[in-house]
Amino acid sequence: MTSTRLYSLALLVVLLVAWDLFCRWTGISALVIPAPLAVAEVLWSGLASGYLWPHIWVTSAEMLLGLGLGCAIGFSCGVVLGEVDFLRRLLWPYVIASQVVPKLALGPLFIVWFGFGMTSTVVITALICFFPLLENTLTGLQLIDPRKRDLFRMLGASRWQTLARLKLPSGLPVILAGVRVAVVLALVGAVVGEFIGGREGLGATIIAAQGMMDSTLMFALFFVITFLGIAVYQFTIAVERRLLRHHQKGLAL
Amino acid sequence: MNFLDIAGISYAYGDEASVVDAVDWDIPTGAFHCLVGRSGCGKTTLLKLAAGLLVPSAGRVRIDGRPVDGPRPDVGFVFQAPTLLEWRPVLENVLLPISLRGAVSAEDRARAGELLHLLGIGDLEARYPLELSGGQQSRVAIARALIGGPDLLLMDEPFAALDAMTREELQADLLDLVAARTTTVLFVTHDIAEAVFLADRVAVMEAGAIRARLEVPIARPRAAELRHDARFNALCLDARQAMRAPLAA
Ligand SMILES: Nc1ncnc2c1ncn2[C@@H]1O[C@H](COP(=O)(O)OP(=O)(O)O)[C@@H](O)[C@H]1O
Ligand SMILES: [Mg+2]
Repeated sequence: MTSTRLYSLALLVVLLVAWDLFCRWTGISALVIPAPLAVAEVLWSGLASGYLWPHIWVTSAEMLLGLGLGCAIGFSCGVVLGEVDFLRRLLWPYVIASQVVPKLALGPLFIVWFGFGMTSTVVITALICFFPLLENTLTGLQLIDPRKRDLFRMLGASRWQTLARLKLPSGLPVILAGVRVAVVLALVGAVVGEFIGGREGLGATIIAAQGMMDSTLMFALFFVITFLGIAVYQFTIAVERRLLRHHQKGLAL
Repeated sequence: MNFLDIAGISYAYGDEASVVDAVDWDIPTGAFHCLVGRSGCGKTTLLKLAAGLLVPSAGRVRIDGRPVDGPRPDVGFVFQAPTLLEWRPVLENVLLPISLRGAVSAEDRARAGELLHLLGIGDLEARYPLELSGGQQSRVAIARALIGGPDLLLMDEPFAALDAMTREELQADLLDLVAARTTTVLFVTHDIAEAVFLADRVAVMEAGAIRARLEVPIARPRAAELRHDARFNALCLDARQAMRAPLAA
Protein backbone atom coordinates (compact mmCIF):
# COMPACT_ATOMS: atom_id res chain seq x y z
CA MET A 1 0.00 0.00 0.00
CA THR A 2 1.43 3.42 -0.87
CA SER A 3 1.72 6.04 1.80
CA THR A 4 -0.94 8.25 0.16
CA ARG A 5 -3.39 5.38 0.40
CA LEU A 6 -2.53 5.00 4.07
CA TYR A 7 -3.23 8.70 4.59
CA SER A 8 -6.56 8.37 2.76
CA LEU A 9 -7.52 5.53 5.07
CA ALA A 10 -6.37 7.50 8.11
CA LEU A 11 -8.52 10.42 6.97
CA LEU A 12 -11.56 8.12 6.89
CA VAL A 13 -10.88 7.06 10.48
CA VAL A 14 -10.44 10.70 11.53
CA LEU A 15 -13.76 11.63 9.89
CA LEU A 16 -15.60 8.75 11.60
CA VAL A 17 -14.13 9.68 14.97
CA ALA A 18 -14.99 13.35 14.43
CA TRP A 19 -18.55 12.35 13.53
CA ASP A 20 -18.82 10.25 16.67
CA LEU A 21 -17.39 12.97 18.90
CA PHE A 22 -19.74 15.51 17.36
CA CYS A 23 -22.76 13.31 18.20
CA ARG A 24 -21.57 12.76 21.78
CA TRP A 25 -20.64 16.34 22.61
CA THR A 26 -23.63 18.06 21.08
CA GLY A 27 -26.03 15.31 22.16
CA ILE A 28 -27.81 15.84 18.88
CA SER A 29 -30.95 13.73 18.36
CA ALA A 30 -30.47 10.46 16.48
CA LEU A 31 -33.40 11.63 14.36
CA VAL A 32 -31.19 14.37 12.87
CA ILE A 33 -27.73 12.77 12.86
CA PRO A 34 -27.34 9.24 14.25
CA ALA A 35 -24.01 8.18 15.74
CA PRO A 36 -21.72 6.14 13.50
CA LEU A 37 -21.81 3.07 15.73
CA ALA A 38 -25.61 3.03 15.68
CA VAL A 39 -25.54 3.22 11.88
CA ALA A 40 -23.02 0.40 11.74
CA GLU A 41 -25.21 -1.68 14.03
CA VAL A 42 -28.31 -1.18 11.88
CA LEU A 43 -26.26 -1.89 8.77
CA TRP A 44 -24.85 -5.07 10.24
CA SER A 45 -28.20 -6.39 11.49
CA GLY A 46 -29.81 -5.53 8.15
CA LEU A 47 -27.19 -7.57 6.33
CA ALA A 48 -27.03 -10.39 8.89
CA SER A 49 -30.79 -10.84 9.12
CA GLY A 50 -31.02 -10.88 5.33
CA TYR A 51 -33.45 -7.93 5.39
CA LEU A 52 -31.30 -5.74 3.08
CA TRP A 53 -30.19 -8.32 0.54
CA PRO A 54 -33.37 -8.49 -1.59
CA HIS A 55 -33.33 -4.70 -1.83
CA ILE A 56 -29.66 -4.62 -2.80
CA TRP A 57 -30.42 -7.25 -5.41
CA VAL A 58 -33.39 -5.34 -6.86
CA THR A 59 -31.51 -2.06 -7.08
CA SER A 60 -28.44 -3.73 -8.61
CA ALA A 61 -30.61 -5.51 -11.16
CA GLU A 62 -32.43 -2.30 -12.11
CA MET A 63 -29.18 -0.44 -12.36
CA LEU A 64 -27.44 -3.06 -14.49
CA LEU A 65 -30.47 -3.67 -16.73
CA GLY A 66 -30.99 0.06 -17.24
CA LEU A 67 -27.27 0.59 -17.79
CA GLY A 68 -27.01 -2.26 -20.30
CA LEU A 69 -30.13 -1.24 -22.17
CA GLY A 70 -29.31 2.48 -22.21
CA CYS A 71 -25.68 1.90 -23.23
CA ALA A 72 -26.62 -0.56 -25.98
CA ILE A 73 -29.26 1.71 -27.49
CA GLY A 74 -27.18 4.87 -27.03
CA PHE A 75 -24.17 3.22 -28.64
CA SER A 76 -26.19 1.88 -31.58
CA CYS A 77 -27.84 5.24 -32.19
CA GLY A 78 -24.44 6.92 -31.91
CA VAL A 79 -23.00 4.62 -34.57
CA VAL A 80 -25.97 5.19 -36.91
CA LEU A 81 -25.87 8.98 -36.45
CA GLY A 82 -22.08 8.92 -36.78
CA GLU A 83 -22.25 7.08 -40.08
CA VAL A 84 -25.26 8.72 -41.72
CA ASP A 85 -24.56 12.42 -42.21
CA PHE A 86 -28.11 13.23 -43.21
CA LEU A 87 -29.62 11.70 -40.05
CA ARG A 88 -27.05 13.40 -37.87
CA ARG A 89 -27.80 16.83 -39.27
CA LEU A 90 -31.54 16.16 -39.11
CA LEU A 91 -31.59 14.90 -35.51
CA TRP A 92 -28.75 16.82 -33.87
CA PRO A 93 -30.90 19.77 -32.67
CA TYR A 94 -33.28 17.28 -31.03
CA VAL A 95 -30.43 15.40 -29.39
CA ILE A 96 -29.14 18.66 -27.92
CA ALA A 97 -32.64 19.71 -26.82
CA SER A 98 -33.32 16.36 -25.17
CA GLN A 99 -30.07 16.66 -23.22
CA VAL A 100 -31.51 19.45 -21.09
CA VAL A 101 -34.81 17.65 -20.43
CA PRO A 102 -34.64 16.56 -16.79
CA LYS A 103 -35.14 12.83 -17.41
CA LEU A 104 -36.12 12.10 -13.81
CA ALA A 105 -39.04 14.47 -14.21
CA LEU A 106 -40.48 11.93 -16.66
CA GLY A 107 -40.63 9.33 -13.85
CA PRO A 108 -44.29 9.91 -12.94
CA LEU A 109 -45.24 9.55 -16.60
CA PHE A 110 -43.37 6.25 -16.86
CA ILE A 111 -45.32 5.01 -13.82
CA VAL A 112 -48.50 5.76 -15.73
CA TRP A 113 -47.13 3.83 -18.71
CA PHE A 114 -45.35 0.93 -17.05
CA GLY A 115 -46.86 0.80 -13.55
CA PHE A 116 -45.09 0.77 -10.18
CA GLY A 117 -42.07 -1.50 -9.85
CA MET A 118 -38.99 -2.49 -11.71
CA THR A 119 -39.98 -1.72 -15.29
CA SER A 120 -40.42 2.01 -14.89
CA THR A 121 -37.19 2.30 -12.88
CA VAL A 122 -35.27 0.37 -15.53
CA VAL A 123 -36.70 2.61 -18.26
CA ILE A 124 -35.73 5.79 -16.41
CA THR A 125 -32.23 4.44 -15.78
CA ALA A 126 -31.85 3.41 -19.43
CA LEU A 127 -33.00 6.84 -20.59
CA ILE A 128 -30.43 8.55 -18.38
CA CYS A 129 -27.62 6.24 -19.60
CA PHE A 130 -28.62 6.65 -23.23
CA PHE A 131 -27.34 10.21 -23.67
CA PRO A 132 -23.70 9.97 -22.55
CA LEU A 133 -23.28 6.92 -24.78
CA LEU A 134 -24.94 8.57 -27.76
CA GLU A 135 -22.87 11.71 -27.44
CA ASN A 136 -19.54 10.01 -26.74
CA THR A 137 -19.99 7.40 -29.47
CA LEU A 138 -20.76 10.15 -31.94
CA THR A 139 -17.75 12.18 -30.80
CA GLY A 140 -15.46 9.14 -30.72
CA LEU A 141 -16.34 8.19 -34.29
CA GLN A 142 -15.61 11.69 -35.57
CA LEU A 143 -12.22 12.04 -33.87
CA ILE A 144 -10.14 9.98 -36.28
CA ASP A 145 -6.55 10.83 -37.16
CA PRO A 146 -6.82 12.04 -40.80
CA ARG A 147 -3.70 10.06 -41.69
CA LYS A 148 -5.32 6.83 -40.52
CA ARG A 149 -8.39 7.71 -42.57
CA ASP A 150 -6.15 8.20 -45.63
CA LEU A 151 -4.40 4.93 -44.85
CA PHE A 152 -7.71 3.04 -44.91
CA ARG A 153 -8.73 4.79 -48.12
CA MET A 154 -5.37 3.93 -49.64
CA LEU A 155 -5.87 0.28 -48.70
CA GLY A 156 -9.30 0.26 -50.33
CA ALA A 157 -11.15 -0.47 -47.07
CA SER A 158 -14.93 -0.65 -47.30
CA ARG A 159 -17.12 1.58 -45.18
CA TRP A 160 -17.93 -1.30 -42.85
CA GLN A 161 -14.24 -2.20 -42.48
CA THR A 162 -13.37 1.43 -41.75
CA LEU A 163 -16.04 1.52 -39.05
CA ALA A 164 -15.21 -1.81 -37.43
CA ARG A 165 -11.44 -1.72 -37.70
CA LEU A 166 -10.59 1.97 -37.48
CA LYS A 167 -13.35 4.21 -36.15
CA LEU A 168 -14.66 2.03 -33.32
CA PRO A 169 -11.28 0.95 -31.93
CA SER A 170 -9.79 4.41 -32.17
CA GLY A 171 -12.93 5.97 -30.66
CA LEU A 172 -13.00 3.39 -27.86
CA PRO A 173 -11.39 5.63 -25.20
CA VAL A 174 -14.06 8.29 -25.73
CA ILE A 175 -16.86 5.70 -25.85
CA LEU A 176 -15.68 4.10 -22.61
CA ALA A 177 -15.50 7.51 -20.95
CA GLY A 178 -19.21 7.73 -21.80
CA VAL A 179 -19.78 4.35 -20.15
CA ARG A 180 -18.07 5.63 -17.01
CA VAL A 181 -20.41 8.62 -16.87
CA ALA A 182 -23.38 6.31 -17.51
CA VAL A 183 -22.39 4.01 -14.63
CA VAL A 184 -22.55 6.87 -12.15
CA LEU A 185 -25.83 8.13 -13.57
CA ALA A 186 -27.31 4.62 -13.56
CA LEU A 187 -27.09 4.34 -9.78
CA VAL A 188 -28.69 7.77 -9.34
CA GLY A 189 -31.35 6.76 -11.88
CA ALA A 190 -32.16 3.49 -10.15
CA VAL A 191 -32.35 4.96 -6.63
CA VAL A 192 -34.34 8.06 -7.61
CA GLY A 193 -36.53 5.93 -9.89
CA GLU A 194 -37.39 3.88 -6.80
CA PHE A 195 -38.12 7.05 -4.80
CA ILE A 196 -40.81 7.78 -7.36
CA GLY A 197 -42.23 4.41 -8.23
CA GLY A 198 -40.47 1.56 -6.47
CA ARG A 199 -41.98 -1.04 -4.21
CA GLU A 200 -38.67 -2.72 -3.51
CA GLY A 201 -35.05 -1.69 -3.64
CA LEU A 202 -32.74 0.61 -1.71
CA GLY A 203 -34.48 3.79 -2.91
CA ALA A 204 -37.91 2.46 -1.92
CA THR A 205 -36.48 1.42 1.45
CA ILE A 206 -35.16 4.94 2.02
CA ILE A 207 -38.67 6.28 1.42
CA ALA A 208 -40.08 3.69 3.83
CA ALA A 209 -37.45 4.61 6.44
CA GLN A 210 -38.34 8.26 5.97
CA GLY A 211 -41.99 7.38 6.69
CA MET A 212 -40.90 5.81 9.97
CA MET A 213 -38.54 8.72 10.76
CA ASP A 214 -35.73 6.13 10.95
CA SER A 215 -32.71 8.30 10.16
CA THR A 216 -30.30 5.62 11.29
CA LEU A 217 -31.62 3.21 8.66
CA MET A 218 -31.47 5.98 6.05
CA PHE A 219 -27.80 6.54 6.86
CA ALA A 220 -27.15 2.79 6.69
CA LEU A 221 -28.83 2.65 3.25
CA PHE A 222 -26.79 5.62 2.14
CA PHE A 223 -23.63 3.64 2.90
CA VAL A 224 -24.93 0.56 1.09
CA ILE A 225 -25.65 2.64 -2.02
CA THR A 226 -22.22 4.26 -1.82
CA PHE A 227 -20.52 0.87 -1.62
CA LEU A 228 -22.58 -0.41 -4.53
CA GLY A 229 -21.56 2.63 -6.58
CA ILE A 230 -17.87 2.27 -5.71
CA ALA A 231 -17.90 -1.43 -6.60
CA VAL A 232 -19.49 -0.92 -10.01
CA TYR A 233 -17.34 2.11 -10.77
CA GLN A 234 -14.11 0.31 -9.86
CA PHE A 235 -15.17 -2.64 -11.99
CA THR A 236 -15.81 -0.31 -14.94
CA ILE A 237 -12.40 1.31 -14.54
CA ALA A 238 -10.71 -2.09 -14.41
CA VAL A 239 -12.47 -3.16 -17.62
CA GLU A 240 -11.58 0.17 -19.24
CA ARG A 241 -7.91 -0.18 -18.29
CA ARG A 242 -7.83 -3.67 -19.74
CA LEU A 243 -9.50 -2.68 -23.02
CA LEU A 244 -7.32 0.40 -23.48
CA ARG A 245 -4.00 -1.07 -22.40
CA HIS A 246 -2.48 -0.63 -25.87
CA HIS A 247 -4.06 2.71 -26.75
CA GLN A 248 -2.35 6.07 -26.57
CA LYS A 249 -1.22 6.59 -23.00
CA GLY A 250 -2.62 10.09 -22.84
CA LEU A 251 -6.11 8.84 -23.72
CA ALA A 252 -6.23 5.91 -21.34
CA LEU A 253 -6.84 6.60 -17.69
CA MET B 1 8.44 2.87 -70.26
CA ASN B 2 7.29 5.27 -67.53
CA PHE B 3 5.57 3.64 -64.61
CA LEU B 4 4.32 6.87 -63.06
CA ASP B 5 3.31 9.54 -65.55
CA ILE B 6 2.17 12.91 -64.18
CA ALA B 7 1.11 15.45 -66.79
CA GLY B 8 0.29 19.06 -65.96
CA ILE B 9 -1.50 18.46 -62.66
CA SER B 10 -2.70 21.30 -60.47
CA TYR B 11 -4.55 21.30 -57.18
CA ALA B 12 -6.01 23.90 -54.80
CA TYR B 13 -7.65 23.37 -51.41
CA GLY B 14 -11.05 25.07 -51.65
CA ASP B 15 -10.90 28.53 -53.19
CA GLU B 16 -7.30 29.21 -52.20
CA ALA B 17 -4.35 29.59 -54.56
CA SER B 18 -2.95 26.48 -56.25
CA VAL B 19 -0.83 24.38 -53.91
CA VAL B 20 0.38 22.23 -56.80
CA ASP B 21 0.78 24.14 -60.02
CA ALA B 22 1.11 22.44 -63.45
CA VAL B 23 3.55 19.73 -62.42
CA ASP B 24 4.93 17.30 -65.02
CA TRP B 25 6.84 14.25 -63.90
CA ASP B 26 7.73 10.85 -65.34
CA ILE B 27 9.29 8.01 -63.37
CA PRO B 28 10.61 5.04 -65.38
CA THR B 29 9.80 1.55 -64.11
CA GLY B 30 12.06 0.60 -61.23
CA ALA B 31 13.52 4.08 -60.81
CA PHE B 32 13.91 5.84 -57.46
CA HIS B 33 13.03 9.54 -57.58
CA CYS B 34 13.17 12.01 -54.70
CA LEU B 35 11.29 15.23 -54.23
CA VAL B 36 12.84 17.87 -51.99
CA GLY B 37 11.44 21.20 -50.94
CA ARG B 38 10.73 23.40 -47.97
CA SER B 39 7.90 22.64 -45.59
CA GLY B 40 4.58 23.81 -47.03
CA CYS B 41 5.65 23.87 -50.69
CA GLY B 42 3.11 21.20 -51.66
CA LYS B 43 5.05 17.93 -51.48
CA THR B 44 2.44 15.97 -49.53
CA THR B 45 -0.32 17.27 -51.77
CA LEU B 46 1.56 16.15 -54.88
CA LEU B 47 2.07 12.71 -53.39
CA LYS B 48 -1.62 12.40 -52.52
CA LEU B 49 -2.51 13.39 -56.07
CA ALA B 50 -0.22 10.66 -57.41
CA ALA B 51 -1.83 8.18 -54.99
CA GLY B 52 -5.36 9.08 -56.07
CA LEU B 53 -6.25 10.30 -52.56
CA LEU B 54 -6.89 13.74 -54.07
CA VAL B 55 -8.30 14.47 -57.52
CA PRO B 56 -6.36 17.08 -59.55
CA SER B 57 -8.25 20.14 -60.76
CA ALA B 58 -6.29 20.00 -64.03
CA GLY B 59 -3.98 17.48 -65.70
CA ARG B 60 -3.86 13.73 -65.20
CA VAL B 61 -1.92 10.95 -63.48
CA ARG B 62 -1.26 7.54 -65.03
CA ILE B 63 0.20 4.56 -63.23
CA ASP B 64 1.39 1.71 -65.42
CA GLY B 65 -0.41 3.27 -68.36
CA ARG B 66 -3.82 3.43 -66.63
CA PRO B 67 -5.41 6.71 -65.47
CA VAL B 68 -5.65 7.03 -61.67
CA ASP B 69 -9.21 7.58 -60.46
CA GLY B 70 -8.74 6.58 -56.83
CA PRO B 71 -6.45 4.64 -54.48
CA ARG B 72 -5.23 1.37 -55.98
CA PRO B 73 -3.96 -1.82 -54.34
CA ASP B 74 -0.68 -1.95 -56.29
CA VAL B 75 0.47 1.36 -54.79
CA GLY B 76 2.05 1.46 -51.34
CA PHE B 77 1.94 4.70 -49.34
CA VAL B 78 4.14 5.52 -46.35
CA PHE B 79 2.88 8.52 -44.41
CA GLN B 80 4.83 11.29 -42.74
CA ALA B 81 4.21 9.60 -39.36
CA PRO B 82 4.20 5.79 -38.98
CA THR B 83 0.37 5.83 -38.63
CA LEU B 84 0.11 2.42 -37.00
CA LEU B 85 -3.00 1.05 -35.29
CA GLU B 86 -1.99 1.22 -31.61
CA TRP B 87 -4.49 -1.47 -30.62
CA ARG B 88 -3.07 -4.15 -32.92
CA PRO B 89 0.26 -5.98 -32.52
CA VAL B 90 3.07 -5.30 -34.98
CA LEU B 91 2.44 -8.38 -37.13
CA GLU B 92 -1.26 -7.51 -37.52
CA ASN B 93 -0.30 -3.97 -38.50
CA VAL B 94 1.95 -5.30 -41.23
CA LEU B 95 -0.80 -7.66 -42.44
CA LEU B 96 -3.49 -4.94 -42.44
CA PRO B 97 -3.49 -4.43 -46.25
CA ILE B 98 -3.97 -8.18 -46.75
CA SER B 99 -6.59 -8.66 -44.05
CA LEU B 100 -8.68 -5.80 -45.50
CA ARG B 101 -8.76 -7.65 -48.81
CA GLY B 102 -9.67 -11.07 -47.40
CA ALA B 103 -8.39 -13.94 -45.32
CA VAL B 104 -4.75 -13.94 -44.20
CA SER B 105 -2.94 -17.13 -45.19
CA ALA B 106 -0.04 -18.82 -43.46
CA GLU B 107 2.20 -17.71 -46.34
CA ASP B 108 1.17 -14.08 -45.77
CA ARG B 109 2.16 -14.42 -42.13
CA ALA B 110 5.47 -15.96 -43.09
CA ARG B 111 6.12 -13.18 -45.60
CA ALA B 112 5.30 -10.50 -43.01
CA GLY B 113 7.66 -12.16 -40.56
CA GLU B 114 10.34 -12.28 -43.20
CA LEU B 115 9.90 -8.58 -44.06
CA LEU B 116 10.17 -7.66 -40.39
CA HIS B 117 13.28 -9.80 -40.18
CA LEU B 118 14.82 -8.07 -43.21
CA LEU B 119 14.07 -4.73 -41.56
CA GLY B 120 15.83 -5.88 -38.39
CA ILE B 121 12.77 -6.11 -36.12
CA GLY B 122 11.92 -9.79 -36.58
CA ASP B 123 11.75 -10.34 -32.82
CA LEU B 124 9.24 -7.56 -32.21
CA GLU B 125 6.24 -8.92 -34.12
CA ALA B 126 4.14 -9.57 -31.01
CA ARG B 127 4.73 -6.12 -29.52
CA TYR B 128 2.29 -3.22 -29.74
CA PRO B 129 3.22 0.02 -31.57
CA LEU B 130 3.49 2.15 -28.43
CA GLU B 131 6.08 -0.28 -27.08
CA LEU B 132 8.40 0.52 -30.01
CA SER B 133 10.91 3.31 -30.63
CA GLY B 134 10.29 5.82 -33.41
CA GLY B 135 12.71 4.04 -35.75
CA GLN B 136 11.08 0.66 -35.09
CA GLN B 137 7.65 2.15 -35.79
CA SER B 138 8.93 3.52 -39.13
CA ARG B 139 10.20 0.05 -40.00
CA VAL B 140 6.78 -1.43 -39.31
CA ALA B 141 5.18 1.20 -41.57
CA ILE B 142 7.61 0.30 -44.37
CA ALA B 143 6.93 -3.41 -43.94
CA ARG B 144 3.19 -2.67 -44.15
CA ALA B 145 3.67 -0.71 -47.36
CA LEU B 146 5.73 -3.55 -48.89
CA ILE B 147 3.61 -6.54 -47.81
CA GLY B 148 1.28 -6.32 -50.81
CA GLY B 149 4.30 -6.32 -53.16
CA PRO B 150 3.48 -2.87 -54.58
CA ASP B 151 4.86 -1.83 -57.96
CA LEU B 152 4.89 1.81 -56.90
CA LEU B 153 5.89 3.08 -53.48
CA LEU B 154 4.99 6.64 -52.47
CA MET B 155 6.80 7.80 -49.35
CA ASP B 156 6.15 11.07 -47.52
CA GLU B 157 9.15 12.09 -45.38
CA PRO B 158 9.07 8.70 -43.66
CA PHE B 159 12.35 9.24 -41.81
CA ALA B 160 11.99 12.93 -40.95
CA ALA B 161 11.43 12.33 -37.23
CA LEU B 162 14.38 9.96 -36.74
CA ASP B 163 17.89 10.55 -35.51
CA ALA B 164 20.71 10.62 -38.09
CA MET B 165 22.08 7.15 -37.34
CA THR B 166 18.70 5.41 -37.51
CA ARG B 167 17.85 7.33 -40.67
CA GLU B 168 21.02 6.11 -42.42
CA GLU B 169 20.27 2.51 -41.42
CA LEU B 170 16.75 2.76 -42.74
CA GLN B 171 17.91 4.37 -46.00
CA ALA B 172 20.23 1.42 -46.61
CA ASP B 173 17.53 -1.13 -45.73
CA LEU B 174 15.01 0.60 -47.99
CA LEU B 175 17.41 0.60 -50.95
CA ASP B 176 18.06 -3.13 -50.49
CA LEU B 177 14.37 -3.96 -50.29
CA VAL B 178 13.24 -1.99 -53.35
CA ALA B 179 16.22 -3.14 -55.43
CA ALA B 180 15.24 -6.76 -54.78
CA ARG B 181 11.74 -6.14 -56.15
CA THR B 182 12.27 -3.50 -58.90
CA THR B 183 9.78 -1.25 -57.16
CA THR B 184 9.30 2.23 -58.58
CA VAL B 185 9.65 4.81 -55.79
CA LEU B 186 8.69 8.43 -55.32
CA PHE B 187 10.24 9.57 -52.05
CA VAL B 188 9.55 12.96 -50.48
CA THR B 189 12.05 14.50 -48.08
CA HIS B 190 13.34 17.88 -46.96
CA ASP B 191 16.83 16.47 -46.40
CA ILE B 192 19.02 17.04 -49.46
CA ALA B 193 21.67 14.49 -48.50
CA GLU B 194 18.98 11.87 -48.02
CA ALA B 195 17.55 12.66 -51.46
CA VAL B 196 20.93 12.43 -53.20
CA PHE B 197 21.85 9.22 -51.41
CA LEU B 198 18.61 7.45 -52.34
CA ALA B 199 17.66 8.78 -55.75
CA ASP B 200 18.40 8.31 -59.42
CA ARG B 201 16.94 11.74 -59.87
CA VAL B 202 16.12 14.58 -57.48
CA ALA B 203 13.44 17.16 -58.19
CA VAL B 204 13.36 20.43 -56.30
CA MET B 205 9.92 21.84 -55.57
CA GLU B 206 9.09 25.39 -54.63
CA ALA B 207 5.68 27.00 -54.19
CA GLY B 208 3.89 24.18 -55.94
CA ALA B 209 6.13 23.95 -59.00
CA ILE B 210 9.20 21.84 -59.87
CA ARG B 211 12.08 24.34 -60.04
CA ALA B 212 14.96 22.02 -60.91
CA ARG B 213 15.76 18.40 -61.72
CA LEU B 214 19.08 16.84 -60.95
CA GLU B 215 20.41 13.47 -62.15
CA VAL B 216 22.41 11.41 -59.65
CA PRO B 217 24.78 9.31 -61.78
CA ILE B 218 26.15 7.24 -58.91
CA ALA B 219 26.24 3.46 -59.31
CA ARG B 220 24.27 1.08 -57.08
CA PRO B 221 24.48 -0.53 -54.63
CA ARG B 222 25.46 2.54 -52.67
CA ALA B 223 27.53 2.16 -49.52
CA ALA B 224 27.30 4.37 -46.43
CA GLU B 225 30.81 5.75 -47.13
CA LEU B 226 29.40 7.43 -50.22
CA ARG B 227 28.23 10.23 -47.93
CA HIS B 228 31.88 11.33 -47.52
CA ASP B 229 32.63 11.19 -51.24
CA ALA B 230 33.51 14.46 -53.02
CA ARG B 231 31.18 13.72 -55.93
CA PHE B 232 28.29 13.11 -53.52
CA ASN B 233 28.92 16.40 -51.76
CA ALA B 234 29.13 18.25 -55.06
CA LEU B 235 25.69 16.90 -56.01
CA CYS B 236 24.28 17.95 -52.63
CA LEU B 237 25.67 21.42 -53.20
CA ASP B 238 24.05 21.57 -56.65
CA ALA B 239 20.69 20.63 -55.16
CA ARG B 240 21.04 23.15 -52.37
CA GLN B 241 21.85 25.91 -54.85
CA ALA B 242 18.84 24.93 -56.94
CA MET B 243 16.71 25.47 -53.82
CA ARG B 244 18.28 28.83 -53.10
CA ALA B 245 18.39 30.14 -56.64
CA PRO B 246 15.08 32.06 -56.65
CA LEU B 247 16.02 33.78 -53.39
CA ALA B 248 19.36 34.96 -54.76
CA ALA B 249 17.77 36.24 -57.97
N1 LIG C 1 -6.26 19.83 -45.97
C1 LIG C 1 -5.80 21.07 -46.30
N2 LIG C 1 -6.64 22.10 -46.38
C2 LIG C 1 -6.20 23.34 -46.73
N3 LIG C 1 -4.91 23.64 -46.98
C3 LIG C 1 -4.01 22.65 -46.90
C4 LIG C 1 -4.40 21.30 -46.54
N4 LIG C 1 -3.29 20.53 -46.56
C5 LIG C 1 -2.26 21.35 -46.89
N5 LIG C 1 -2.68 22.61 -47.10
C6 LIG C 1 -1.83 23.75 -47.50
O1 LIG C 1 -1.23 23.42 -48.70
C7 LIG C 1 0.14 23.83 -48.71
C8 LIG C 1 1.01 22.65 -49.05
O2 LIG C 1 0.88 21.68 -48.05
P1 LIG C 1 1.66 20.28 -48.11
O3 LIG C 1 1.36 19.65 -49.42
O4 LIG C 1 1.29 19.52 -46.89
O5 LIG C 1 3.17 20.76 -48.04
P2 LIG C 1 4.49 19.96 -47.64
O6 LIG C 1 4.15 18.50 -47.59
O7 LIG C 1 5.47 20.30 -48.70
O8 LIG C 1 4.94 20.47 -46.32
C9 LIG C 1 0.42 24.43 -47.35
O9 LIG C 1 0.43 25.83 -47.47
C10 LIG C 1 -0.73 23.97 -46.50
O10 LIG C 1 -1.06 24.97 -45.59
MG1 LIG D 1 4.30 17.19 -46.00
